[in-house]
Parts: sequence; C-alpha cells; structure tokens
Amino acid sequence: MTAIRLHGAGKSYSLYRHDLDRLREVLSGRSRHQSIAALHPTDLEVPSGQVLGIIGANGAGKSTLLKLISGTLQPSTGRVAVKGRLTALLELGAGFHPEMTGRENVYLSGAVMGLSGQEVEALYAEIRDFAGIGEFIDQPVRTYSSGMFVRLAFAVATCVAPEILVIDEALSVGDGAFARRSFERIMSFRDAGKTILFCSHSMYQVEAICSRVLWLHSGRVIMDGDPAQVVTSYDDFVQGGALPPAPGAQPAPSPLPPKAMRSAAPGTARIAEVRVATREGSGRPLPVRSARSDVTIEVHLVSDPALPPPSLAVVFTEADGRMISSAGTVNDGMLIDRDGAGRGHLVVTFPRFALLKGRYLVDVYLLCEQALHTYDRVQGAAELEVTQNGLEQGVVTLPRHWQIGAHRDPARALGVGVG
Amino acid sequence: MVCSGRLEVLDMSVTTGVLRAVRFGLKYAVHSLSGARQPLRLLWGHRELLRLLAKRDIAVRTSGTALGGIWMILQPGLQVLAFWFLLDFVLRVRFPGKVSFLDYFLIGMVPWLMVSEVMNRSLAILTEFGALYRRSAFPLPILPLLPLLVSGSIYGVVYVGTVLLLQGPVVALRAPAIMLGLMLWLVPICYMLAVVGVFLREVGQVFPFLVTMLMYLTPILYMPQMLPEPVRAWWVLNPFADLMAVIHGLLQGLPYTAGNLLRPVLVWALLLGPAWVMFRRSEPHVREAL
Repeated sequence: MTAIRLHGAGKSYSLYRHDLDRLREVLSGRSRHQSIAALHPTDLEVPSGQVLGIIGANGAGKSTLLKLISGTLQPSTGRVAVKGRLTALLELGAGFHPEMTGRENVYLSGAVMGLSGQEVEALYAEIRDFAGIGEFIDQPVRTYSSGMFVRLAFAVATCVAPEILVIDEALSVGDGAFARRSFERIMSFRDAGKTILFCSHSMYQVEAICSRVLWLHSGRVIMDGDPAQVVTSYDDFVQGGALPPAPGAQPAPSPLPPKAMRSAAPGTARIAEVRVATREGSGRPLPVRSARSDVTIEVHLVSDPALPPPSLAVVFTEADGRMISSAGTVNDGMLIDRDGAGRGHLVVTFPRFALLKGRYLVDVYLLCEQALHTYDRVQGAAELEVTQNGLEQGVVTLPRHWQIGAHRDPARALGVGVG
Repeated sequence: MVCSGRLEVLDMSVTTGVLRAVRFGLKYAVHSLSGARQPLRLLWGHRELLRLLAKRDIAVRTSGTALGGIWMILQPGLQVLAFWFLLDFVLRVRFPGKVSFLDYFLIGMVPWLMVSEVMNRSLAILTEFGALYRRSAFPLPILPLLPLLVSGSIYGVVYVGTVLLLQGPVVALRAPAIMLGLMLWLVPICYMLAVVGVFLREVGQVFPFLVTMLMYLTPILYMPQMLPEPVRAWWVLNPFADLMAVIHGLLQGLPYTAGNLLRPVLVWALLLGPAWVMFRRSEPHVREAL
C-alpha cells in the first residue's frame, strides 16, 4: 500500500516587488512575480511502513518536500496524495498559537487533525505526561523555551496515533533525557510499521533509522535508494566529489569502501563505526552479566588530519537519560592515534562490568582535543541488558574488602590506646 | 456574396460571443454555488476547531476583568448609550410620526455594531492567526468565519435582549433570524476583506474611518424620511441601507419594499463566487506572504 504519492509535485517560491502585485496576480490570474524553484517537479512513492530519510545540503529542498507532503505548503505544480493520518514536526512552535496555553494548544492541534473534543480528552493525560513540562502546560506557549516547545509538539504529534510521521531535524533539540525518549518512540513507531519521513544532517542517524534514503540537491532528487549507498555518495560529494551522473538514476551497485576508510570533510570529525560487545556475544539489547562480563567498546573514527587529534567519551545512562558513569580519553590522559588520512581506531574495555541489573544505554561522543566541542555523537549506540546473580541492590557494585572477626573492644579495634 | 460573407463572419462572432457569455455565466454560477456551500461545509467540518477558537476569543476578551463575560454585553451597551446621549439628549433629534428615537436607534445600532466589528476584524484575521497556519496544515479557510461566529453570537444575545425589552417577546423571536441572516450575508465580504487585509496593509489604517462613514451613510442614527428625496435615491447603491429598512420593517413594522430585500440578496449572490475564488487563489500566497 502506498502511503505517500507525489505526481510531478514541485514548489516555486514567488518573489514580488510589492504585496500589491500579489493581489493583482490573484485578481487577474496573470503572473507578476519572479519564481525561484525550491523543488523541481518530483515523482515519489513511499510505501506504508517505510522509513524514508531525506538528506542534502541546506537549501536542497528537504524542508520544502516535507512541507508539501504534510500539507503546510501547496504544490505549485503536480499533486501530492497522502493516505492516513499524518503528523509533522517541522519547525519550532509550528501550529501552536503563542497566546494560548499548552493545554489549549493540545486541543487545538487535535482539532486541526480532525479529532473530536472527547478523543483529545482521552489522549490528554498521555500527551501531558510525555511532554513532562509540568505546570507550564497551563501557561501561554509564548513563555516556553525551545525545549518545551519541542517536547509538547513531539508529544502531540506522536500521541495521536499517526500513520505517517514527518520529522524535520526535530530530534536534535531538547535535553538528553527527552531526546532519548523521543528517539525511542520513533524507533517504536518504526517497529510498529508506521511510515516515517525523516530529514537530518546526522548521517549516522539516517543510516541507523532509515530503510531508504533520498538525496536532494538544488531541488532535485540526485539519488534514491539503499541508505548505505546514498549516504556514501553524499559523503563523497560533500568532500568535494562530483554529483552522480544522471539525477534520479539509480547508481550502479559498486563495492563500497568500509565506512572507516572514508575521509572526513575539512574541519570535521565523525564516528564511522561503534561496536559494543562482550566476550559472550553481541546483539541489541546486549546481554551483560554484572561483575562478570567484560564490555568492550570499539570505535572507528575519521577526522580531518589537519585538526588536532580529537578525543572520545563514552557515557552510560539509564533509560530516563540519567548519567550513571562515563569515561573519556582526555580525563584518562589518553591520546588518540591517527593515520595520515585522519583515521583512528580505539577500544575501551570495562572489565567485570560494575553496573547492577537494569537496562543501560551507551552514548559515544567524538569531541575536540579539549573535550569541549562535540564533532559527532552516537546516542544509544548500544543497549545493555545487565543481569546479576545475587540480590545486591542499587546501580553499581563497588569493589570492597570485608574484615570479619570475633567481637573486640571498639576502642582497641579503632587503635585508640589509653596512655 | 461579399455581403453574405460579412454576415457570416458577423454571425460567427456573435455566436462565439454568446457562447463565451454562456460559458462565463455557467462558470460564475458554479463558483457562486461553491461560494455558498463551501463556507457552510467548513463550518460543519471544523466545528470543533471553530468552537475552540471562538471560546478562546471570548475568554481573552473578558479575562482579567472582575465582571468577566458581562463586559461583552456592557461594552456595546455603553457605545449605544453614548450615541443616545448625543442624539436624543443633547441634540434632541425628533423623528417624524410616532416612531420613538430610542427604539429606532437601538434596533438599527446593535446589528450595525456587529457588522462593523466583523468587518474590522476580518481585515486582520489572517495576520492575527499567522502563527497557526504559517508552518502547519491548519485549515486556513475557516479563519474568516471566526469573527462572524464570535461577534454574531455576542451581539445576537444583546440583540434578542434589546428587542425583547423594546418590542416584546413575540417580535424578539425574529431577532435571532435577523442576526443569522446578516451573518450569512456577510460571509463573502469577510472572505474578501481577509485577503485584502493581507495584501494591502494600508487599508487597515483607513478602514475604521470607512466603516464609520458607511454608518453615517446608512439610516441608523436618523430615519430615511429625514433626508431629502434626491439624496435618498442614492441609497440603492448602499446595500446596508436596504438591510436597515428590512430590519426596521420586520421588527418595528416600518414600511419597506421588495427592492429593499432583493437588492442585498442580489449583491450577496453576485459576491459569493468572486469572493470564494479570490480567497482560494490567494491561499498559497497568504501562507507565504506573512
């Protein structure tokens, strides 16, 4: 079944010298503007259940495409057909009335999506809890921080059971705990077979989530297909390569260089690969036995050789985003070795993994030499499912040493002598 | 031969002209029909959304005041009081016949307050709610209906109360019908003003003046009979004058003609199509213009 179908849908923005010219054009039907094509006529079919990633430089037409599909913009040419309820996270605060409270905006958004008052009523508690903005829900949304905006918008967009979810760069906003929860929710949508359109500058995220990737350049589809292939070609292009020959044509399948072998664009560094494993095996979630398994995290990175050697940090968090522990090369006094092309490889081992039973996530950060600026991050690189044998309580098992003997005089035991 | 040839050409051009006129007429009729139907469909299809927006609108107007909702009634009441003070008390305007000034004035003034409020607000409505539709799939065409619903319901209540006091319960039953009729009549005007307000911001500055002038050119503060005959002839150009005559006729038993009823209906029918087409054509521009 097709969820989204574009028949030659394109969008040109019109430039007018004066707003009066717009009115004249409306009245006379005669053109009085200069057109700038944001998206050339495009044919696209997205089967339901597909996760489509859209990549491209700024101004490539990604947002325009998403806006056409979500109905925010009307196509200048062609048609857009969407089957099923669609919710979109396009821009900060989009679709919210600034003077209305969060609660009123929830009802308003629900009504825009065609839900009745009772239906929104039934969903309201879930939306409020997921957004988690507390008392602010009853304040006008103009008082919200950008993080709160995103939380509420995300909660509304995902709690109303959409069949199609459109997300434009929204994942990167919001604090860690919420970013994680929203990421997990998107993953659960994907697992539930919903159609997701996803536009991001994070190639890692695109590759991790999407089943198909569309590369746009100057309003045209340059490549459409397998994520690894499209992302590789795009990376090559960003690093100064040429565009693939025929726009829209499928690239000839060619053996891909391993990701770690590709170089990074000037001034950047990125994580090419993260592998988290124990000697017993791998998988997601990764089974780990507390105080027994050795957890190894292997990272391949690529950086601009002109940059000072980057640093790396590994963070363990609980599902709610609470940081449990971390390890970093700067703090531990380690320097990352790179070859002439700026490629590096390192392995960090956590012997006899000290966390107690529970679910933990591993985030990997690639940072500047002072560990201040983040070049790249992989959130939720692995999910650890830690089990334990005994009944030890808490989060971590501390190394310890017991001394046990028969009762002794406390004063003497403490070495306090009487003169 | 030449002559008949010319006739043929003439004949053909006449035929083409007639065909064109018929096609234009059909198109006009089709658009007029959708201009009448679509707003009603929007009203029904988005009733929940409109209810929320209207409720919010009324709440905002009264929030932070001790009397709350009472102000909604009191505000127009005070405005009416000011006019009464000037005309009846200070200037001692006397109406011909046995018509009471206060009755005549109130019965015309309350609907006019609704009309002027709706027209003034329609001009700004798309700008006001820009945040809602600029970056989302908000159904833009419902917005021009909002001022109608809000002002219509507020002044509707005021009007029923006013007519009840002045003319008794039997006549008061007609008041809601008159308000509804006026609201319906204003629909195409609201759609046109909404578009004009976006593209011609300057109009917003001069519009309150135009509305006030329109009020003076409409027999609300005076009776038609108080003006000389030649001046009255111009009223065929002002549909509001016709509407006032009908309103006074229905509620006060003053004389009115079939023309008073037919002219506004004709104007309305002629505006429906162009207003709707203009709005639909403007919609993509409106989303981008702001």
